[in-house]
Amino acid sequence: MRSMAWIGSIMMAAVLCGCGSNVKVIEGDVAIKETSAPIQEKEQEETTPGKAVENVGTAEDTTQYSGYVFTYDGTIISMDMDAAPIVEQLGEPDSYFEAPSCAFEGIDKVYTYGSFELDTYPTDDKDYVSTVVLKDDTIATTEGVGIGDPEDKVVEAYGSEWIEEDGMRVYEKDGMKLCFILKNDTVASIEYRSTAIEQ
Amino acid sequence: MKRKRIIRTVCSVLVVASTLYMLQRLLLPKYVSDVVEGRLIAEYYAEEKDHDVIFIGDCEVYENFSPKVLWEDYGINSYIRGSAQQLIWQSYYLLEDTLRYEKPEVVVFNVLAMKYDEPQNEAYNRMSLEGMRWSMAKVKAIQASMTDEEHFLDYIFPILRYHSRWSSLKAEDVEYLFANRKVSHNGYYMRVDVKPAKDVPEGKMLADYRFGENAYQYLDKMTKLCRENGIELVLVKAPSLYPYWYDEWEQQIEDYAGQNGLLYINFLELTEETGLDYNIDTYDGGLHMNLSGAEKITSYLGQILQDEYHLADRRSEERLSKIWAGKTATYEQDRRRQEEEAEKQ
Repeated sequence: MRSMAWIGSIMMAAVLCGCGSNVKVIEGDVAIKETSAPIQEKEQEETTPGKAVENVGTAEDTTQYSGYVFTYDGTIISMDMDAAPIVEQLGEPDSYFEAPSCAFEGIDKVYTYGSFELDTYPTDDKDYVSTVVLKDDTIATTEGVGIGDPEDKVVEAYGSEWIEEDGMRVYEKDGMKLCFILKNDTVASIEYRSTAIEQ
Repeated sequence: MKRKRIIRTVCSVLVVASTLYMLQRLLLPKYVSDVVEGRLIAEYYAEEKDHDVIFIGDCEVYENFSPKVLWEDYGINSYIRGSAQQLIWQSYYLLEDTLRYEKPEVVVFNVLAMKYDEPQNEAYNRMSLEGMRWSMAKVKAIQASMTDEEHFLDYIFPILRYHSRWSSLKAEDVEYLFANRKVSHNGYYMRVDVKPAKDVPEGKMLADYRFGENAYQYLDKMTKLCRENGIELVLVKAPSLYPYWYDEWEQQIEDYAGQNGLLYINFLELTEETGLDYNIDTYDGGLHMNLSGAEKITSYLGQILQDEYHLADRRSEERLSKIWAGKTATYEQDRRRQEEEAEKQ
């Protein structure tokens, strides 16, 4: 009897205190809170200039950022960065769209700035950069590759170590992805993608 | 002496099991005050299983079609077994599960789910799967749905997954420990507010527009299951403007429907016929229809179902009419409550 009581107590203690090393935590009404974004945010806080508008990166300091970054008009956009100061610095978008997620609170946002699209995902009370899509050949990646460039230029800029994913050529760096769609050996699409949205 | 020990042991086991069961009930999300979509699947089991039409699919069915309109306008008794981001294998096993209870004449499946070929997200999995009653269909649905990080045991004993909720328990966790509150109208999630569709982004270029093998495999299984049971399978694409529905996807569904003799209705191409107005008929900028939009397209669908499959008008059935009178009253009450709330804002 006493041993059963012990077993019961141990089981309940294990259940209530938590067991295993799950990264995700299911809280509230099943809202799975992906802890990856805050972790990345913390890492960024340690390695990047910070979140305030005045501290948004400029073209001179891309080396301070992790992963491949996109630079537009002096503004550096890195995946999983706090989107608010970036959006503020970029100014009024050509168009803006909100896509509430099914069931859960939080809104994915799509900002279109002429030649590129910036998407964000919500975590807690903040929006983070999830994707940057280059839309035409008037702009290029920070390393100088644009839509319409030959495949050789991609290899020259990013090397020959890539993975194939859903038919795309993907260069992974520091937990983000730079994705190219090649058609007839020519770049047809370029997309910076956070891996946080894939989890 | 030996008998006494056995009784003690059995009692001890029962006490521990009951305590764990109560804890599990307490810690499970109740889906009452928010994320109510998590309750949709479970609500079906309390219904009388005598439906002519069953809808299966993601939010594009449970937010865009209103069974009340099918009843009121055509006397068709229908139910929506929809859930958020319901993947096609989940739709298939939900159909298997449904057939354990009843055999509808028509099954309507929304094809957006064809875009997913592999497991996606635990939170959505749980909203589709936890509400299912245990059966082989549920076991297979879990196996087909789990992401790499998920464990089957966590579905059998959800307390293993929800243990950390103990620190964020709310009053409703106690209030709804055993009680339930209906959140849908025969699976339909009502919204009356309005947010016009504007600046809906076009789809990003894809390297490969072909639907995946796994998705096709389950569509085949669904087609076969319906055929074996004498059920008409209807494929629909709801009029949701986002996520983007590519022309290449449309072609594949048209081809599939043609090859398998299935009716396919793409409501994106029927705005004129349905009278849908994206300025007033959506509550979130074109992703989902509001009540007005859902009623318009459901009315259009009802006519097609009646014309194509000659479904009987059952409004003269006294028992069913009585049930629907109650449902309609609740529906109208919910509509009024939401309209009043919308006016206040």
